[in-house]
Amino acid sequence: MTAETSLAKRSAPGMGRRRRLTIAGFGFSLPWIIGFLVFMAGPIVVSLYYSFTEFNLFQPPQWVGLKNYVSLFSDDRFLHSMFNTAYLAIIGVPLGLALALLVALALNFPVRGQPLYRAIVYLPAIVPVVTATYLWRWVFNAQYGYLNQLLSHVGLPQPDWLEEPFWTKPAVIIIMLWGIGGTTVIYLAALQQVPQQLLEAAAVDGANTWQRFWNVTWPTLTPVTLFQLILGIIGALQIFAPTYLLTQSRLSPANGGPGDSLLTYAMYLFQNAFIFLKMGQAAAMAWILFVVIGGLTALILWSSRRWVHYGAE
Amino acid sequence: MSGPVLSRRRFVGLSIASAASAGVLAGCSSGSGGKSGGKTTIKFSYLWTGEEAKALQKVVEKFNRSQKDIVVQGVSNPDTQAQLASMTGSKGAFDISDNFGNATGDWASKGIIKSLDDYIKQDKYDLSDFAPAAMETVRYQNSVYQLPIAVNNSALLYNKSLFDQAGINDPPKTTSEWASAIAKTTKSNSSGISQLGLCGTSSAGIDYQTMGVCFGGKWYTNGKPSPTDPGNIAGAQFYVDNVLKKYGVKHINRFASGFGDYQSPQNPFYQGKLAMVIDGEWQPAFIKNFAPKLEWGVVSVPYPDGHPELANTNLVSPGTFFIPSNSQHPDEAWVFLKYLVSTEAMREFTLALSNLPSRTSLLKDKAYGDIPNFDVFLNLLASKNATSMGSNPDYTQYTADLTTAADQITRLAKTPAQAYAAVATKAQSYDS
Repeated sequence: MTAETSLAKRSAPGMGRRRRLTIAGFGFSLPWIIGFLVFMAGPIVVSLYYSFTEFNLFQPPQWVGLKNYVSLFSDDRFLHSMFNTAYLAIIGVPLGLALALLVALALNFPVRGQPLYRAIVYLPAIVPVVTATYLWRWVFNAQYGYLNQLLSHVGLPQPDWLEEPFWTKPAVIIIMLWGIGGTTVIYLAALQQVPQQLLEAAAVDGANTWQRFWNVTWPTLTPVTLFQLILGIIGALQIFAPTYLLTQSRLSPANGGPGDSLLTYAMYLFQNAFIFLKMGQAAAMAWILFVVIGGLTALILWSSRRWVHYGAE
Repeated sequence: MSGPVLSRRRFVGLSIASAASAGVLAGCSSGSGGKSGGKTTIKFSYLWTGEEAKALQKVVEKFNRSQKDIVVQGVSNPDTQAQLASMTGSKGAFDISDNFGNATGDWASKGIIKSLDDYIKQDKYDLSDFAPAAMETVRYQNSVYQLPIAVNNSALLYNKSLFDQAGINDPPKTTSEWASAIAKTTKSNSSGISQLGLCGTSSAGIDYQTMGVCFGGKWYTNGKPSPTDPGNIAGAQFYVDNVLKKYGVKHINRFASGFGDYQSPQNPFYQGKLAMVIDGEWQPAFIKNFAPKLEWGVVSVPYPDGHPELANTNLVSPGTFFIPSNSQHPDEAWVFLKYLVSTEAMREFTLALSNLPSRTSLLKDKAYGDIPNFDVFLNLLASKNATSMGSNPDYTQYTADLTTAADQITRLAKTPAQAYAAVATKAQSYDS
């Protein structure tokens, strides 16, 4: 008996067990796999085909090649929607992460009533987006809104938040920042993983608060930050509900707010699909968004090698 | 009480349209009606809700009582996306439904709705009683695809008390009188506006489409969008010169941000914040409900100086009934459709909604006499200057672009001529 056959005999039961486990695993996953293939993978593939056609739901799709993709880039509203979405993502997401981290650090202090403060910060995250947005419409009211009243008390100018194109996107970012409860809670959980002995050692070595944060706390938080950054960017690039609700007005389903300043990518995609019935163009938009999100995610993951620290690194 | 209510409720559907794909599946999986007890059951899905739905249901019940062969099942579903989704499959979820006339071109060109020509020919159905402006919107390529029932149009509503305070004895007839009335009824100073002569009820903008036709403009010429028609530009320019530039967009925006909900006692016209508004024939019923003590009057939108031939111009938009192409019982649906737009049913339904009847024979009907100031709207519909936006396949895209132009005009970002020229450029790339 050679060493190989002996090894093969010994490993055979192990391989059988592994195969059985694999089959069982697939068995348990099968409902999801079938659901994915039928309800997601199928439509995804079909949408790719539609993106090269003119299709209005009621007549057979007509192949038009790259026309949908090409025409989008000469469409003012498409370009506008890209700019608006990029604005919200580039400014809103980092600002949201920074604020959530600050709030998490504050909530991590062992003070009296800490659980209550944590609950208060998380509360907006469970308010339905429609309710919250309609409430914010009143907060932003130029004449009677709380925000402008507050600004007038401190002697600052009171903008027409929802009427002036310059101010509409900052208004949406304020709403986004109000809802950072979920991000804060994740940061708070991550803060519990910061090695106390390292913080104490740094303190003994004479490191000040900032140095302890930057050299000990922040590296520990970078994996969580990477996760939240990717999710935040994906969410911001698909933002729909707040901007849609802020721009709704009577008899105007294809609205984009003053100067189309709130027309986000997802809103314009929706308008193309369900108001103008241009399913081909909407599908092309969806694929462009998919590629952009994929590209950005890859870019962030690639860059993470330089700024994300795992475990014992 | 249907004009904006209908529209609003119909557009409510859009807010939940992200679930449209689910609607498609639902629509595909359910058939409409069938045979039961020797009678054919047809499904009537309508966008009206609340009181309007109740009024319609009464009409349905009356029809059912009169029938030996057909039973109508009425279902209120205000979701326009679900309505559209239900018409995608081969087996329709309903046999007859409602929308607006301006959907005709878009839907007919896509084969969504059935031409009624064969039925009309077969029954020698008389269309001559329907208001011509309403019929304009239900035709596509000379075929009739829908029939109108409740018509919306607009006129100039004014607050009598504010007119008295300003020393104005008669409502304006011409645009120069109108400009003067706006100036006299506006109260503003450097800190802002406390009362405005003319404005929209929800924002600083106004109904520029009505303004355009009242200044002699046409939004379509020979079936093609004509946004740069001089009348359209002049209509918007009048508002720009006499309101937006004169009192400042910033001030007006701030003033308008304090307007209450349109369909409530806080409507700025009911509150005396606006002396004049361009609004629809549903307002008599609304005012009775929300501001019964308001002293108000209504006249047609003033005509440009020196152009009395444009007096009584008004823009008409009818609510309509149609049979979807995938109806399982189109013949029975036609029988019911005829009943819905019959004189008796139309009178009952439009009275309940305080909308205008689309039949000219009803425009002088005494039944409408109890609704205050309704006669003005009825006469406007009867006027030779009643017109419509028509119903071309590009209507949705065109009106969306006009909305963008309206926004630019209201913010003074572009002059009316510039804004409409941009729409004209875009219109060249419309598919139809």
